[in-house]
Amino acid sequence: MPSDTIRAALIRRLRISSGIAEEDIREIEALPISVRHFPADTSVVRDGERATDCCLIADGFCARSKTIANGKRQILSLHIPGEIPDLMSLFLHVMDHDLATLTPATLGFISHETLQKLHRRSPNVAEMFWRDTLIDAAMFREWIVNVGQRPAPARLAHVMIELRERLRLIGRTDGNNFEMPLTQEQIGEALGITAVHANRVIKQLRQEGIVELNRGRVNVLDERKFQELADFDGRYLHQSPTL
Amino acid sequence: MPRFHFDIHENGHLIPDDDGREFVDEDDARKEAVLTGASIARDAFVAGSAHRVVIDVREGTAPFLKVSITLEVEET
Repeated sequence: MPSDTIRAALIRRLRISSGIAEEDIREIEALPISVRHFPADTSVVRDGERATDCCLIADGFCARSKTIANGKRQILSLHIPGEIPDLMSLFLHVMDHDLATLTPATLGFISHETLQKLHRRSPNVAEMFWRDTLIDAAMFREWIVNVGQRPAPARLAHVMIELRERLRLIGRTDGNNFEMPLTQEQIGEALGITAVHANRVIKQLRQEGIVELNRGRVNVLDERKFQELADFDGRYLHQSPTL
Repeated sequence: MPRFHFDIHENGHLIPDDDGREFVDEDDARKEAVLTGASIARDAFVAGSAHRVVIDVREGTAPFLKVSITLEVEET
């Protein structure tokens, strides 16, 4: 994968959501990144590990999760190309959760040392990455509200719309159609329900003509019902420098 | 690994599970049935869409177990 493809989604996202300046884009283009390919369902960095670099998703999907003593796993967030899901490891030295791939993924590793030097050289880039981690926290707040308060069908619809809006930003939606490559187990782990309940919710949304999920792709059947069910207000994604 | 099917009844309305799902053992399938019943019942009871949820689990065509959850509200 050529180096500009590695950074393409990141730069596209920062242009739209942070209004990144051309000189800062050049800084990101000059960053040394070591690229590695990961199979699906593979750990990138584990809970308890000491990370020495941050990982930029160039292609594929990842998830952050935490597993409790009885083995049950909660998926905390989904991640798409252009995101750096473990950016906080630059300052929080020991991982307090897991980061793993959901699909085969191309990941670009940027060493902490490189990022620290960049931050000192370019306060604008440092501020942008700071803003990124704040948006990350905003998404976690929304995730808590979703899992804690909404009934399961609305939970699923909300996670789907959020994913769509983020994919749209990097040009990865196709009309009413977008990727959501999660198994029913993983959907259950994201929503705090069992895989069997997740299966039932997916069937229900299809039967009600709202949305269908087929082999990792979402197809929206009725946009108005979908929005209504999800109770989605995308402000928390702050997808513009003015938000 | 044994494959179990979870047919769900909400107020008698049946949602059959044709695909089924593999579990390590019967205990795992039993836990899944109880948790699934509890979480479907929570949504249905709060929404008022059903007052009785039954999870009917079979291994292939052989009945395995049934979890029934009924909402009873006694107003005084």
